[in-house]
Amino acid sequence: MSFYDVILNKIRKIQEKAGEDEPVTNVTASTMLTAELTLIASVLIAVVMVRLIHPVLMIIMVAAILIIVFTAMPIMPRLRREQNDDLNNMMFYVVVALGVIVALFYWGNLNV
Amino acid sequence: MDMNVLIAVMVILPIASALFLNLLHKKDRTIKIIAIITAIVLPIIPLLTPYGSHFFGGYVPLAQDPSLAQGLPALITGSQLFQFHLGIMYVFSSAKQLMIFILGLITFFAIFTFINESKRPSGVYAFLMFMGTASVSAILLSDDIFNLFVFFEIAALAQVGIVIASGIKNNYETALKYILLGNIAGPLLLLGIVMLLGITGNVNVTDMIFTLKNGYVNPQSPELLIALALIVFGWLYASGLPPFHTIKSAVYSKALPHGSALLQAFSVFTMVAIGIIIIRLFSYNPFTNIAIIGISLIAMILGITMAIVQTDYKRILGYLAVGELGYIGIGLGLGTAFGITAGLFQAVNEAVITAFLFIGFGTILYKTRISDTRKLGGMMYVNPKVALLVLLAGLAMAGVPPLNAFQSKLMLIQASIQSGLPELGIIMILLSIVTFMTFMKAFYTIYMRPKPKELEVLDNTIPRSTVISLVVFLIVCLTLGLFPEIATNSLQTLAAGLV
Repeated sequence: MSFYDVILNKIRKIQEKAGEDEPVTNVTASTMLTAELTLIASVLIAVVMVRLIHPVLMIIMVAAILIIVFTAMPIMPRLRREQNDDLNNMMFYVVVALGVIVALFYWGNLNV
Repeated sequence: MDMNVLIAVMVILPIASALFLNLLHKKDRTIKIIAIITAIVLPIIPLLTPYGSHFFGGYVPLAQDPSLAQGLPALITGSQLFQFHLGIMYVFSSAKQLMIFILGLITFFAIFTFINESKRPSGVYAFLMFMGTASVSAILLSDDIFNLFVFFEIAALAQVGIVIASGIKNNYETALKYILLGNIAGPLLLLGIVMLLGITGNVNVTDMIFTLKNGYVNPQSPELLIALALIVFGWLYASGLPPFHTIKSAVYSKALPHGSALLQAFSVFTMVAIGIIIIRLFSYNPFTNIAIIGISLIAMILGITMAIVQTDYKRILGYLAVGELGYIGIGLGLGTAFGITAGLFQAVNEAVITAFLFIGFGTILYKTRISDTRKLGGMMYVNPKVALLVLLAGLAMAGVPPLNAFQSKLMLIQASIQSGLPELGIIMILLSIVTFMTFMKAFYTIYMRPKPKELEVLDNTIPRSTVISLVVFLIVCLTLGLFPEIATNSLQTLAAGLV
């Protein structure tokens, strides 16, 4: 099965779960594929910046992300499903972000 | 004594006009005249105002007016209290002049298109637009962090009002969600400000910096770090950076096009104003810059990848606008004078370009009442001139020369390379290409593919005012693209002062 078909099936499954009955068109699949590749490429390039902390850590992180990406692909349909307008979802991510920011600023500063 | 009244007028005039317009129900002609006159004056005032400071109530620092200090005990005159700012202070510089001018220009064209596109212009809607502009101008000018918070809240309410007034399906729900999330972020920002006040004994940013830099406060105190985290969290809400990118893009998509154009300008300039304060206060802490870069990267990647997969063009623009905020954040986060100048330049450019796009694509809503790209097509035949203007706006956003975002994005890439982070430059190039692709996909589906049979195009003519607005935005984009020094010369003084 080609990557394109994997994306197509994944979108269908997610739409079924969400109760959406819109057809999965070529445009939907192609845009999802573009977003997927953009996401993966951007994250991988961003992780290369870890070289400033330690080159070995960067290699480990790039390898780990590659493994995660290839096992979890396609990520974009799931990401899109998570980034919806549901207030509960938004609240959840807001609270998570608040926790992460406070933790990083507090312990990050005191221990770096 | 430096008492520049015009600095205060930049905030007071739109508030006064807004309050007056709010009273004028059913007086259409009067609303139009007052709104247009105020909107014309708004971009002119910053051009006439000399740089300097305005002290509300005349409360200058005692050191600047020795007559006030006469008879005071040595406890005050001999201590740092002598230097501190006693009241609210607004500071006006070349960078703020440019940003308030651009905000005024966008407000003018938002009001101009609103008045010409609406059969019966609402005084309440104009009230909300002017209140938002006044609030964001105050946020840009204020050196008092508590005063900034007050206007942050007023700006949030004005934005909610603009969404509620749009009459677009589900707008109430989106507005309610935005205000509910604001009920988390706003109080936490206030808590951060209160903690700063408790630690430094001040609400004036210049005085806070003084106490931080002169050893009166432990810069690594846990309270200070928590205050920084809370202020950063409030900044994310005001700007629409993750995790608030979803609601912010929804807010843009549920406002009328002229409203969206103004809302995104509010977000851009609030992001810059609070971002500058965060850098001024906490740049001693290297983690601040790392956090700003990290958040901006997430905003860029999430905003632009989410934009590609949308089918509603207003939502596409909403997400692209969020993604573009990431570029501004990268410039601020790099922390070099050149990087911050590039970030500020990108902010000015983004505010203009996104307004250009929202008003340009707004013509589709005006002609069809549809924003779903799957139901649109063939709009090129309806108005090819407007289609060309929209195409140019999209090219500007993607950073195509000789338009303005090309210059600011090039500067950002150069700044990231100079800072030893070429990866950021590569990501910015990659995402600019994807932005271009996303825009072209929307443009093709709306304008170039065959018109669907069921699509009904209304017989109304696109108002000339809308086309004039688009042409002026294009002229601004071209001018800043061909002569970037007009903007960068104004911005680099502020940037140099932050390093």
